[in-house]
Amino acid sequence: MRNILVLIQRFYLFLLFLLLQLVALYILFDNNNFHRAEFIQHSNDWTGFIYGKRSQLSEYLRLGEINDELSLENAVLRSERPENFITTRSGADSVENTKTLQRYVYRTAKVVNATVNREKNFLTLDRGLLSGVKADMGVLANGCLVGVVRSASDHFAVVMPVIHADFKASVKLKKYGVIGSLEWAGGNPGVADVVEIPKNIPAAIGDTVLTSGYSTFYPAEVLVGTIESVDDESSNEYHILKIKLGADIRLLSQVQVVSDILKMEQDSLLDKVIQQDAAYSRR
Amino acid sequence: MLLTVGGNILRIAFLILLQALVVSRIQLFDGLILPWVYIFGILMLPFETPRWLTLTVGFIVGWTMDYFSGPMGLHSTACVTLAYMQPIVQKFISPREGYDSIQRPTIQSMGLPWYLTYAGVLTLIHHSWFFFFEVFRFSDFFYQLVHILLSSAATIVLMTIGQYLIFNSKSSQL
Repeated sequence: MRNILVLIQRFYLFLLFLLLQLVALYILFDNNNFHRAEFIQHSNDWTGFIYGKRSQLSEYLRLGEINDELSLENAVLRSERPENFITTRSGADSVENTKTLQRYVYRTAKVVNATVNREKNFLTLDRGLLSGVKADMGVLANGCLVGVVRSASDHFAVVMPVIHADFKASVKLKKYGVIGSLEWAGGNPGVADVVEIPKNIPAAIGDTVLTSGYSTFYPAEVLVGTIESVDDESSNEYHILKIKLGADIRLLSQVQVVSDILKMEQDSLLDKVIQQDAAYSRR
Repeated sequence: MLLTVGGNILRIAFLILLQALVVSRIQLFDGLILPWVYIFGILMLPFETPRWLTLTVGFIVGWTMDYFSGPMGLHSTACVTLAYMQPIVQKFISPREGYDSIQRPTIQSMGLPWYLTYAGVLTLIHHSWFFFFEVFRFSDFFYQLVHILLSSAATIVLMTIGQYLIFNSKSSQL
């Protein structure tokens, strides 16, 4: 017993080092599930408060630019008002309201903090659970894909943007309808990769890339970006397409959070089938 | 004594805010150069700081920085390593007669060659550890190496400039 105490006394510094190091590494590597602590901690209220103050200041300096963006968006929205449309149908058979069902709801939010120069970047928004922003909602800016909400506190939400090493989304080429996968390999925050598009598809520079709608995070046909270069050297079967992202994460200020009203229904249906399948194969 | 403790706490708090609000926003070459100047607060701890305290301060500084710039645990692990190595590096490069109790690990007190060795070695240790655990893979090894070297160089330059701004020869007692 005394020997152990002597040993501890002699090496206590190294033991303290090991202890602190283990705590740090445990926390660093113990969050491998989807709702990672990495995202939860960034939506905590006190750093959110400090970052909020800073963004107030920096936003003030680019008010003119933001004004232009907003007025452009106003013009687009105004042109979609029902008064601007004439009905080409006559007769009483058009009971429009029973034919359509609203699926997506948009909320505006402001970006209060963003990192763009890391491997795993994130954005903090100034809206959280109290404003109806929850995890797994899509985030768009001026109709372009930005990312997905990963975690929300009462007043803040943290978004995993396209430029995060773990980000993946199903996308398609507008021209051909072929499905590929959107990834980001680090480096330039204005450019991402689309992989898994077979080489027999004649993808060309300037083609538009949209979301596929396979994911319940974002609506289909949301602009992702345009092809900037086509790399056919690195892979045998697939193109590697560099695309210029439609939303420049570096300059984001206003974003829209999209919630899918039917998401629960769609996901739970799939879960049910998967469970039935599992039960079936057990028999 | 109280002045020294208070001065160090204030300096660390100021550096963490400076890092989170200003320096982390610097974007050079698509994130290739990413200086972490907040470690200056740990490097400037007085020579007579007990090693357990240096370790604890390192952990707390890293933990606080993680809140601003995650993932949680990343700055902590790098700072604990830095804080463990700091006294060892100091011992290695100590002058023959050891450190005087009025000396501080500053350029004014120890001279530029000593300071550059001290800050250079420790910054490299911290940045290598940090960027290795951030990516945790050996692919892009060359890119990572350049990333570490350039970021360390930027940190050292900023810290050296900071030295001349913060400490003048008269008030180097903190």
